[in-house]
Amino acid sequence: MNESSLFFEVDYYQINKSGMSVAGDVFLSTRSDDGSIVTVLADGLGSGIKANVLATLTAKMASVFVLNSMDIRKSAEIIIDTLPVCSERKIGYSTFTVARIEHDGNAYIIEYDNPGFVFLSNNGAEKISYERIDIKSSPVKKNFINYYSLHLERGNRLVFFSDGVTQSGMGCASTPLGWGSANTGEYIEKLVRSDPGIGAGKLSRSIVAQALAHDIYKAHDDITCEVICCREPRKLLLATGPSMHSDKDREMSERIRDFKGCRIICGGTTSQIVSRELDVEVEVDISKISRDIPPKSVMKGIDLVTEGILTLCRIAELLESGKFRNSDESNAATEAIALMMNNDIIYFLVGTRINEAHQDPSMPREIEIRRNIIKKIIYNLENKYLKKTELQFI
Amino acid sequence: MKKTRITICTGTACYVLGGANLLELEDFLSDEMKSRIEITGSACLGMCKAASNDSKPPYVKIDDEVIHSATIQKIIAYLSER
Repeated sequence: MNESSLFFEVDYYQINKSGMSVAGDVFLSTRSDDGSIVTVLADGLGSGIKANVLATLTAKMASVFVLNSMDIRKSAEIIIDTLPVCSERKIGYSTFTVARIEHDGNAYIIEYDNPGFVFLSNNGAEKISYERIDIKSSPVKKNFINYYSLHLERGNRLVFFSDGVTQSGMGCASTPLGWGSANTGEYIEKLVRSDPGIGAGKLSRSIVAQALAHDIYKAHDDITCEVICCREPRKLLLATGPSMHSDKDREMSERIRDFKGCRIICGGTTSQIVSRELDVEVEVDISKISRDIPPKSVMKGIDLVTEGILTLCRIAELLESGKFRNSDESNAATEAIALMMNNDIIYFLVGTRINEAHQDPSMPREIEIRRNIIKKIIYNLENKYLKKTELQFI
Repeated sequence: MKKTRITICTGTACYVLGGANLLELEDFLSDEMKSRIEITGSACLGMCKAASNDSKPPYVKIDDEVIHSATIQKIIAYLSER
């Protein structure tokens, strides 16, 4: 893995319009085989299921077109031509922003009626010139898309949001016309200035939380924010499972100790091996207990120590469903996910010794073979969360 | 007086076979008992690998004595005898 290359961290946060079970804003992100990243933020007209269907249709079309290297402008045109038009309002059914970011940092963005995105460099927000393209074939009277082409460097950030953000607080005395693009931009700038290392997850959450506060904690529209951070990749090592050969215990422990980055150990036996080899104490923290997931432990120098299979299974489940974003669940598994989301390259060091006690038929069937769970976790991290991973068995 | 140390295993096998409930042990103890014990957890006591029909998880260690198939009642009974 070329570690000096640019890394793009992508994350988003979303809150549904109050009372709606699904969002009318859809966010999709994919990494293509050549390493470029394509993200789409689509906002379907209206809210609820109808909006969700339209936005999903748009987002999926856009991401497939762009992934297959179709010119980003051409694909926008096709989507706009395809989208149904509201008979009353005479506008397309879904607005969208599509970004294609190539591995060398070249970024191409099109915006169709979504609020303008915010570009942040190390000097703060910067205006990006764009080309306004008239979609002549459009069935709707006037249709323009904005086309941006820029080059991203380390430290740059792109912040995209739906109109739920800019229009939040509309009708309130302090913001009669809503928060507005300019104020939103200033707020984002302020957030980044006060925390220059802020990651995509935290930044998008903070923006959405602020918009929700403007709506007095009852969202008037779906509020979605997507952030792309271009940064030096942050690394995390997740070690789990004892090695098949106990003479490797020392090597595994030293690799954990010498790793430069965030460290997680998943596994009771594993943590005891490391504790023994490195002569550091491991202590279970029983002050916070959850019914489903065993408590975490504390070990000096290690960011998180958890139980093994149950926690890993929960991590796999949560990554698959994405439900950790809007949930109050708090246990060792959610803590591990928070660390994973905050890092970019995740190394797995997996011991393959099988614990015979887990093969007892009276055990819950969720207890799977470690390798299989890790495979699931890696699949989701790579495909859903655009992380890079490396797997090594020991 | 030296406190009795109760170590509850929170390893996978123990946890799913009832160890999860044992972590609430303190809520079931009388004040007198609470005053003479100390509860800690262990990432894995390592006993499950040698489990047999006579000795099953969850495991709890009371000072140096191991209790298998531990339940809150069993621990309380043990503590009352001491």
